[in-house]
Amino acid sequence: MANCSFKKSQIRGLVTCVPSKEKRIDDELDLFDGNTKQIARLKKTIGLDRRRVVCNDETTADLCESAARRLFSETDLAESSVDALIFVTQTPDYSQPCNAAVLHGRLGLEKSVAAFDVNLGCSGYVYGLWLSYMMIESGSCQNILLLAGDTISRVVHPKDRTVAPLFGDGGSATWITRSGEESVSWFNLGTDGLGYDKLIIPAGGFRAPSSSKSKAEITDQEGNVRTAESLHMDGAEIFNFSISEEPSAVRELLDFAKIDQEEIDYFVFHQANRYILKNIAKRLKIPDSKVPMQTVERFGNQSSASIPSAICGELSPILKDANKTKLFLSGFGVGLSWGSAIIEASNVKICEIIEYK
Amino acid sequence: MPIETFVKKFSECLEEPPSDPLSPATVFKKLPMWDSLAILTFTDTIDMDYGVLLKKADYDSSETLEDLFKIVITRA
Repeated sequence: MANCSFKKSQIRGLVTCVPSKEKRIDDELDLFDGNTKQIARLKKTIGLDRRRVVCNDETTADLCESAARRLFSETDLAESSVDALIFVTQTPDYSQPCNAAVLHGRLGLEKSVAAFDVNLGCSGYVYGLWLSYMMIESGSCQNILLLAGDTISRVVHPKDRTVAPLFGDGGSATWITRSGEESVSWFNLGTDGLGYDKLIIPAGGFRAPSSSKSKAEITDQEGNVRTAESLHMDGAEIFNFSISEEPSAVRELLDFAKIDQEEIDYFVFHQANRYILKNIAKRLKIPDSKVPMQTVERFGNQSSASIPSAICGELSPILKDANKTKLFLSGFGVGLSWGSAIIEASNVKICEIIEYK
Repeated sequence: MPIETFVKKFSECLEEPPSDPLSPATVFKKLPMWDSLAILTFTDTIDMDYGVLLKKADYDSSETLEDLFKIVITRA
Protein backbone atom coordinates (compact mmCIF):
# COMPACT_ATOMS: atom_id res chain seq x y z
CA MET A 1 0.00 0.00 0.00
CA ALA A 2 1.38 3.33 -1.01
CA ASN A 3 1.42 6.12 1.51
CA CYS A 4 -1.14 8.84 0.90
CA SER A 5 -2.15 12.22 2.24
CA PHE A 6 -5.28 14.36 2.32
CA LYS A 7 -5.99 18.01 2.97
CA LYS A 8 -9.71 18.60 3.43
CA SER A 9 -11.05 16.07 5.93
CA GLN A 10 -11.43 16.44 9.66
CA ILE A 11 -12.95 14.66 12.65
CA ARG A 12 -15.69 16.84 14.16
CA GLY A 13 -16.90 14.55 16.91
CA LEU A 14 -16.55 11.10 18.39
CA VAL A 15 -18.30 9.10 21.07
CA THR A 16 -17.45 5.67 22.44
CA CYS A 17 -20.05 3.53 24.17
CA VAL A 18 -18.98 0.82 26.61
CA PRO A 19 -21.19 -1.82 28.25
CA SER A 20 -22.09 -1.18 31.89
CA LYS A 21 -21.07 -4.67 33.01
CA GLU A 22 -17.52 -4.79 34.35
CA LYS A 23 -15.36 -7.85 34.92
CA ARG A 24 -12.21 -7.80 37.04
CA ILE A 25 -9.39 -10.28 36.80
CA ASP A 26 -9.20 -10.23 40.62
CA ASP A 27 -12.64 -11.83 40.70
CA GLU A 28 -11.71 -14.65 38.31
CA LEU A 29 -9.91 -17.01 40.63
CA ASP A 30 -11.70 -19.99 39.09
CA LEU A 31 -10.33 -19.19 35.65
CA PHE A 32 -6.81 -19.29 37.08
CA ASP A 33 -7.42 -22.36 39.27
CA GLY A 34 -7.08 -20.22 42.39
CA ASN A 35 -3.56 -19.12 41.41
CA THR A 36 -3.46 -15.61 42.88
CA LYS A 37 0.25 -15.30 42.11
CA GLN A 38 -0.42 -15.72 38.41
CA ILE A 39 -3.18 -13.12 38.51
CA ALA A 40 -0.84 -10.69 40.29
CA ARG A 41 1.85 -11.37 37.70
CA LEU A 42 -0.55 -10.79 34.79
CA LYS A 43 -1.67 -7.52 36.35
CA LYS A 44 1.90 -6.37 36.92
CA THR A 45 3.47 -7.53 33.64
CA ILE A 46 0.68 -7.24 31.08
CA GLY A 47 -1.49 -4.70 32.86
CA LEU A 48 -4.64 -6.85 32.84
CA ASP A 49 -7.18 -5.44 35.26
CA ARG A 50 -10.77 -4.54 34.38
CA ARG A 51 -12.80 -4.92 31.22
CA ARG A 52 -16.31 -4.09 30.05
CA VAL A 53 -18.35 -6.86 28.51
CA VAL A 54 -21.81 -7.01 26.98
CA CYS A 55 -24.68 -9.09 28.29
CA ASN A 56 -25.85 -11.87 25.99
CA ASP A 57 -28.51 -9.83 24.23
CA GLU A 58 -26.31 -6.78 23.58
CA THR A 59 -24.45 -6.42 20.30
CA THR A 60 -21.90 -4.22 18.60
CA ALA A 61 -24.72 -2.58 16.66
CA ASP A 62 -26.43 -1.63 19.94
CA LEU A 63 -23.27 -0.01 21.34
CA CYS A 64 -22.57 1.88 18.10
CA GLU A 65 -26.18 3.00 17.81
CA SER A 66 -26.00 4.53 21.30
CA ALA A 67 -22.75 6.27 20.41
CA ALA A 68 -24.23 7.58 17.14
CA ARG A 69 -27.39 8.87 18.82
CA ARG A 70 -25.27 10.76 21.35
CA LEU A 71 -23.23 12.22 18.49
CA PHE A 72 -26.39 13.45 16.74
CA SER A 73 -27.91 14.89 19.92
CA GLU A 74 -24.79 16.76 21.04
CA THR A 75 -23.60 18.20 17.71
CA ASP A 76 -25.16 20.01 14.78
CA LEU A 77 -24.79 16.93 12.57
CA ALA A 78 -28.28 16.08 11.34
CA GLU A 79 -29.24 12.55 10.32
CA SER A 80 -30.29 13.98 6.95
CA SER A 81 -26.78 15.37 6.37
CA VAL A 82 -24.99 12.00 6.48
CA ASP A 83 -23.75 10.96 3.02
CA ALA A 84 -22.15 7.63 3.97
CA LEU A 85 -22.13 5.17 6.83
CA ILE A 86 -19.13 2.89 7.28
CA PHE A 87 -19.36 0.14 9.90
CA VAL A 88 -16.09 -1.50 10.95
CA THR A 89 -16.64 -4.73 12.86
CA GLN A 90 -15.92 -8.43 13.01
CA THR A 91 -18.90 -9.13 15.26
CA PRO A 92 -21.93 -8.06 13.20
CA ASP A 93 -25.53 -8.82 14.14
CA TYR A 94 -25.95 -11.03 11.06
CA SER A 95 -23.71 -12.66 8.47
CA GLN A 96 -26.13 -10.96 6.06
CA PRO A 97 -27.10 -8.11 5.80
CA CYS A 98 -24.25 -5.85 6.87
CA ASN A 99 -24.43 -3.88 10.11
CA ALA A 100 -24.22 -0.60 8.18
CA ALA A 101 -27.55 -1.33 6.48
CA VAL A 102 -29.17 -2.34 9.78
CA LEU A 103 -27.97 0.86 11.48
CA HIS A 104 -28.95 2.94 8.46
CA GLY A 105 -32.52 1.87 9.09
CA ARG A 106 -32.39 2.21 12.87
CA LEU A 107 -30.90 5.70 12.69
CA GLY A 108 -33.36 6.86 10.03
CA LEU A 109 -30.79 7.94 7.45
CA GLU A 110 -31.64 9.03 3.90
CA LYS A 111 -31.96 6.47 1.09
CA SER A 112 -29.21 8.26 -0.81
CA VAL A 113 -26.67 7.18 1.83
CA ALA A 114 -23.91 4.72 0.88
CA ALA A 115 -23.63 2.14 3.67
CA PHE A 116 -21.21 -0.78 3.95
CA ASP A 117 -19.23 -2.84 6.44
CA VAL A 118 -15.47 -3.28 6.72
CA ASN A 119 -14.42 -6.64 8.16
CA LEU A 120 -11.35 -5.64 10.17
CA GLY A 121 -10.47 -5.66 13.86
CA CYS A 122 -7.65 -3.86 15.63
CA SER A 123 -6.49 -1.98 12.51
CA GLY A 124 -10.09 -1.26 11.44
CA TYR A 125 -10.56 2.22 12.87
CA VAL A 126 -7.63 3.58 10.87
CA TYR A 127 -8.92 1.84 7.73
CA GLY A 128 -12.33 3.39 8.37
CA LEU A 129 -10.80 6.85 8.68
CA TRP A 130 -8.75 6.31 5.52
CA LEU A 131 -11.87 5.34 3.55
CA SER A 132 -13.78 8.29 5.02
CA TYR A 133 -11.06 10.80 4.19
CA MET A 134 -10.76 9.39 0.67
CA MET A 135 -14.52 9.59 0.06
CA ILE A 136 -14.56 13.20 1.22
CA GLU A 137 -11.51 14.20 -0.82
CA SER A 138 -13.09 12.61 -3.92
CA GLY A 139 -15.93 15.10 -3.61
CA SER A 140 -18.59 12.44 -3.20
CA CYS A 141 -19.29 13.01 0.50
CA GLN A 142 -19.56 15.96 2.87
CA ASN A 143 -20.32 14.09 6.11
CA ILE A 144 -19.46 10.51 6.98
CA LEU A 145 -20.58 8.51 9.99
CA LEU A 146 -17.91 5.97 10.88
CA LEU A 147 -19.03 3.31 13.34
CA ALA A 148 -16.34 1.00 14.70
CA GLY A 149 -16.82 -1.58 17.39
CA ASP A 150 -16.66 -5.17 18.48
CA THR A 151 -17.95 -7.54 21.13
CA ILE A 152 -15.03 -9.96 21.22
CA SER A 153 -16.10 -11.13 24.70
CA ARG A 154 -18.81 -13.09 22.88
CA VAL A 155 -16.35 -15.06 20.74
CA VAL A 156 -13.79 -15.97 23.40
CA HIS A 157 -14.28 -19.13 25.41
CA PRO A 158 -14.72 -18.09 29.05
CA LYS A 159 -12.29 -20.80 30.15
CA ASP A 160 -9.50 -19.79 27.78
CA ARG A 161 -6.95 -17.79 29.78
CA THR A 162 -5.05 -16.80 26.62
CA VAL A 163 -7.89 -14.53 25.46
CA ALA A 164 -10.79 -14.29 27.95
CA PRO A 165 -9.16 -11.84 30.40
CA LEU A 166 -7.77 -9.67 27.60
CA PHE A 167 -10.75 -8.60 25.54
CA GLY A 168 -13.45 -6.07 26.33
CA ASP A 169 -16.26 -4.66 24.23
CA GLY A 170 -17.04 -1.23 22.84
CA GLY A 171 -18.68 0.67 20.01
CA SER A 172 -17.75 4.08 18.64
CA ALA A 173 -19.23 6.69 16.36
CA THR A 174 -17.06 9.27 14.58
CA TRP A 175 -18.24 12.20 12.48
CA ILE A 176 -15.85 13.06 9.67
CA THR A 177 -16.54 16.12 7.57
CA ARG A 178 -15.07 18.28 4.81
CA SER A 179 -13.04 20.96 6.53
CA GLY A 180 -13.31 24.64 5.64
CA GLU A 181 -9.66 25.15 6.42
CA GLU A 182 -6.69 23.05 5.44
CA SER A 183 -6.27 20.00 7.65
CA VAL A 184 -3.47 17.77 6.46
CA SER A 185 -3.41 14.05 7.15
CA TRP A 186 -1.22 11.13 6.14
CA PHE A 187 -2.01 7.39 5.99
CA ASN A 188 -0.14 4.13 5.60
CA LEU A 189 -1.73 0.67 5.57
CA GLY A 190 -0.39 -2.87 5.39
CA THR A 191 -1.24 -6.56 5.49
CA ASP A 192 0.55 -9.86 6.06
CA GLY A 193 -2.00 -12.48 5.08
CA LEU A 194 0.44 -15.33 5.73
CA GLY A 195 -0.32 -14.70 9.39
CA TYR A 196 -4.07 -15.11 8.91
CA ASP A 197 -4.23 -18.01 11.37
CA LYS A 198 -2.43 -16.29 14.25
CA LEU A 199 -5.66 -14.70 15.44
CA ILE A 200 -8.62 -16.60 14.10
CA ILE A 201 -12.02 -18.16 14.71
CA PRO A 202 -11.37 -21.37 12.75
CA ALA A 203 -14.96 -22.58 12.29
CA GLY A 204 -18.44 -21.18 11.83
CA GLY A 205 -17.83 -19.57 8.45
CA PHE A 206 -18.12 -21.26 5.06
CA ARG A 207 -14.66 -22.93 5.09
CA ALA A 208 -15.59 -24.96 8.15
CA PRO A 209 -19.32 -24.56 8.78
CA SER A 210 -20.75 -24.80 12.26
CA SER A 211 -21.31 -28.40 13.35
CA SER A 212 -21.46 -30.49 16.49
CA LYS A 213 -17.75 -31.14 16.00
CA SER A 214 -16.89 -27.45 15.77
CA LYS A 215 -18.87 -26.81 18.95
CA ALA A 216 -17.04 -29.53 20.91
CA GLU A 217 -14.84 -28.26 23.74
CA ILE A 218 -11.15 -29.08 23.57
CA THR A 219 -8.73 -28.62 26.47
CA ASP A 220 -5.13 -27.79 25.55
CA GLN A 221 -1.95 -28.78 27.41
CA GLU A 222 -2.13 -25.68 29.63
CA GLY A 223 -5.73 -26.44 30.61
CA ASN A 224 -7.34 -23.76 28.43
CA VAL A 225 -10.72 -24.71 27.00
CA ARG A 226 -11.99 -23.60 23.59
CA THR A 227 -14.01 -24.81 20.64
CA ALA A 228 -13.28 -24.40 16.93
CA GLU A 229 -15.85 -21.60 16.98
CA SER A 230 -13.97 -19.64 19.67
CA LEU A 231 -11.27 -17.07 19.09
CA HIS A 232 -7.78 -18.64 18.94
CA MET A 233 -4.72 -16.47 19.49
CA ASP A 234 -1.09 -17.39 19.07
CA GLY A 235 0.05 -14.87 21.65
CA ALA A 236 3.78 -15.21 21.00
CA GLU A 237 3.40 -14.68 17.23
CA ILE A 238 1.03 -11.73 17.72
CA PHE A 239 3.54 -10.19 20.10
CA ASN A 240 6.37 -10.71 17.62
CA PHE A 241 4.26 -9.14 14.88
CA SER A 242 3.46 -6.14 17.09
CA ILE A 243 7.02 -5.36 18.09
CA SER A 244 8.49 -5.93 14.63
CA GLU A 245 5.91 -4.35 12.26
CA GLU A 246 4.54 -1.57 14.42
CA PRO A 247 7.68 0.49 15.10
CA SER A 248 8.75 0.29 11.45
CA ALA A 249 5.27 1.31 10.26
CA VAL A 250 5.44 4.36 12.53
CA ARG A 251 8.86 5.36 11.23
CA GLU A 252 7.77 4.86 7.62
CA LEU A 253 4.78 7.17 7.93
CA LEU A 254 6.75 9.84 9.78
CA ASP A 255 9.35 9.72 6.99
CA PHE A 256 6.68 10.02 4.32
CA ALA A 257 4.99 12.94 6.08
CA LYS A 258 8.42 14.55 6.72
CA ILE A 259 7.39 15.06 10.33
CA ASP A 260 9.77 14.68 13.26
CA GLN A 261 8.59 12.33 15.96
CA GLU A 262 8.77 15.21 18.44
CA GLU A 263 6.16 17.16 16.46
CA ILE A 264 3.50 14.55 17.25
CA ASP A 265 1.52 15.50 20.34
CA TYR A 266 0.11 12.03 21.06
CA PHE A 267 0.60 8.52 19.73
CA VAL A 268 -2.67 6.63 20.07
CA PHE A 269 -1.88 2.99 19.49
CA HIS A 270 -4.39 0.16 19.44
CA GLN A 271 -4.90 -0.70 23.11
CA ALA A 272 -3.67 -4.30 22.93
CA ASN A 273 -2.23 -4.42 26.42
CA ARG A 274 0.09 -2.27 28.54
CA TYR A 275 3.13 -4.46 27.92
CA ILE A 276 2.88 -4.08 24.14
CA LEU A 277 2.11 -0.36 24.37
CA LYS A 278 5.09 0.31 26.62
CA ASN A 279 7.27 -1.88 24.46
CA ILE A 280 6.42 -0.04 21.24
CA ALA A 281 6.92 3.31 22.97
CA LYS A 282 10.31 2.15 24.28
CA ARG A 283 11.46 0.96 20.87
CA LEU A 284 10.47 4.26 19.27
CA LYS A 285 11.85 6.27 22.20
CA ILE A 286 8.50 8.00 22.72
CA PRO A 287 7.91 9.26 26.26
CA ASP A 288 5.10 7.36 28.01
CA SER A 289 3.33 10.69 28.61
CA LYS A 290 2.61 10.90 24.87
CA VAL A 291 1.11 7.41 24.67
CA PRO A 292 -2.39 6.89 26.11
CA MET A 293 -2.41 3.47 27.79
CA GLN A 294 -4.96 3.67 30.60
CA THR A 295 -7.84 2.64 28.37
CA VAL A 296 -6.92 -1.03 28.04
CA GLU A 297 -6.73 -1.38 31.84
CA ARG A 298 -10.17 0.19 32.27
CA PHE A 299 -12.02 -1.46 29.41
CA GLY A 300 -9.89 -4.31 28.02
CA ASN A 301 -8.70 -4.73 24.43
CA GLN A 302 -11.71 -3.37 22.54
CA SER A 303 -10.54 -4.37 19.04
CA SER A 304 -11.75 -1.80 16.46
CA ALA A 305 -13.13 0.47 19.22
CA SER A 306 -9.88 0.73 21.15
CA ILE A 307 -8.39 3.77 19.37
CA PRO A 308 -11.54 5.95 19.58
CA SER A 309 -11.98 4.72 23.15
CA ALA A 310 -8.47 5.86 24.07
CA ILE A 311 -9.03 9.23 22.39
CA CYS A 312 -12.37 9.77 24.15
CA GLY A 313 -11.15 8.54 27.51
CA GLU A 314 -7.74 10.18 27.65
CA LEU A 315 -7.56 13.11 25.22
CA SER A 316 -11.00 14.71 25.28
CA PRO A 317 -10.10 18.20 26.62
CA ILE A 318 -7.16 18.46 24.23
CA LEU A 319 -9.22 17.66 21.14
CA LYS A 320 -11.96 20.11 22.08
CA ASP A 321 -9.40 22.91 22.28
CA ALA A 322 -9.11 25.41 19.43
CA ASN A 323 -5.40 24.72 19.03
CA LYS A 324 -4.49 22.00 16.58
CA THR A 325 -3.28 18.73 18.05
CA LYS A 326 -1.25 16.34 15.93
CA LEU A 327 -2.24 12.75 16.56
CA PHE A 328 -0.51 9.63 15.36
CA LEU A 329 -3.05 6.79 15.27
CA SER A 330 -1.98 3.21 14.70
CA GLY A 331 -3.86 -0.07 14.83
CA PHE A 332 -2.45 -3.57 14.37
CA GLY A 333 -3.76 -7.09 14.77
CA VAL A 334 -6.04 -9.69 13.20
CA GLY A 335 -5.38 -10.23 9.49
CA LEU A 336 -2.57 -9.69 10.08
CA SER A 337 -3.35 -6.10 9.30
CA TRP A 338 -2.07 -2.69 10.31
CA GLY A 339 -2.80 0.93 9.58
CA SER A 340 -1.34 4.25 10.70
CA ALA A 341 -2.49 7.82 10.32
CA ILE A 342 -1.27 11.27 11.25
CA ILE A 343 -4.19 13.63 11.64
CA GLU A 344 -4.75 17.12 12.97
CA ALA A 345 -7.62 17.68 15.39
CA SER A 346 -9.10 20.82 16.94
CA ASN A 347 -12.50 22.15 17.97
CA VAL A 348 -13.90 18.63 18.16
CA LYS A 349 -17.52 19.16 19.23
CA ILE A 350 -17.88 16.04 21.34
CA CYS A 351 -15.33 13.52 22.54
CA GLU A 352 -16.60 11.33 25.33
CA ILE A 353 -17.25 7.85 26.66
CA ILE A 354 -20.78 6.85 27.55
CA GLU A 355 -22.17 3.74 29.20
CA TYR A 356 -24.70 1.56 27.44
CA LYS A 357 -28.07 1.51 29.17
CA MET B 1 28.18 -12.06 24.02
CA PRO B 2 29.23 -15.06 26.10
CA ILE B 3 26.72 -17.81 26.71
CA GLU B 4 26.86 -17.15 30.46
CA THR B 5 25.34 -13.69 29.86
CA PHE B 6 22.65 -15.28 27.69
CA VAL B 7 21.80 -17.74 30.46
CA LYS B 8 21.69 -14.90 33.00
CA LYS B 9 19.28 -12.95 30.80
CA PHE B 10 17.10 -16.03 30.54
CA SER B 11 17.09 -16.41 34.31
CA GLU B 12 16.00 -12.79 34.76
CA CYS B 13 12.90 -13.43 32.66
CA LEU B 14 11.62 -16.10 35.03
CA GLU B 15 9.26 -15.01 37.78
CA GLU B 16 11.15 -16.95 40.43
CA PRO B 17 14.74 -18.19 40.46
CA PRO B 18 14.93 -21.91 39.63
CA SER B 19 15.79 -24.34 42.43
CA ASP B 20 18.84 -25.61 40.51
CA PRO B 21 21.23 -23.10 38.93
CA LEU B 22 20.76 -22.67 35.19
CA SER B 23 23.46 -23.70 32.72
CA PRO B 24 23.75 -23.92 28.93
CA ALA B 25 22.64 -27.55 29.24
CA THR B 26 19.39 -26.68 31.05
CA VAL B 27 16.32 -28.09 29.29
CA PHE B 28 14.39 -24.85 29.55
CA LYS B 29 11.00 -26.21 28.51
CA LYS B 30 10.92 -28.43 31.57
CA LEU B 31 11.25 -25.50 33.95
CA PRO B 32 7.93 -24.88 35.74
CA MET B 33 8.44 -21.11 35.45
CA TRP B 34 8.79 -21.30 31.65
CA ASP B 35 5.32 -20.07 30.73
CA SER B 36 3.77 -17.71 28.20
CA LEU B 37 4.81 -14.61 30.16
CA ALA B 38 8.38 -15.82 30.38
CA ILE B 39 8.40 -16.48 26.61
CA LEU B 40 7.11 -12.95 26.06
CA THR B 41 9.71 -11.22 28.19
CA PHE B 42 12.60 -13.39 26.99
CA THR B 43 11.68 -12.90 23.32
CA ASP B 44 11.56 -9.17 23.95
CA THR B 45 14.89 -9.13 25.79
CA ILE B 46 16.70 -11.06 23.06
CA ASP B 47 15.24 -8.88 20.32
CA MET B 48 16.29 -5.70 22.14
CA ASP B 49 19.78 -6.95 23.04
CA TYR B 50 20.72 -9.09 20.03
CA GLY B 51 18.30 -7.86 17.33
CA VAL B 52 17.03 -11.41 16.85
CA LEU B 53 13.33 -12.18 17.05
CA LEU B 54 12.87 -15.74 18.29
CA LYS B 55 9.79 -17.47 16.91
CA LYS B 56 7.64 -20.33 18.14
CA ALA B 57 9.45 -22.70 15.76
CA ASP B 58 12.77 -21.73 17.35
CA TYR B 59 11.53 -22.61 20.81
CA ASP B 60 9.91 -25.79 19.51
CA SER B 61 13.11 -26.97 17.83
CA SER B 62 15.33 -26.23 20.85
CA GLU B 63 15.84 -28.36 23.91
CA THR B 64 18.54 -26.59 25.87
CA LEU B 65 19.53 -22.98 26.43
CA GLU B 66 22.62 -23.67 24.34
CA ASP B 67 20.38 -24.66 21.41
CA LEU B 68 18.61 -21.31 21.69
CA PHE B 69 21.89 -19.45 22.05
CA LYS B 70 23.19 -21.03 18.83
CA ILE B 71 20.13 -19.83 16.93
CA VAL B 72 20.59 -16.31 18.25
CA ILE B 73 24.32 -16.19 17.51
CA THR B 74 23.77 -17.49 13.96
CA ARG B 75 21.26 -14.74 13.20
CA ALA B 76 22.77 -11.85 15.14
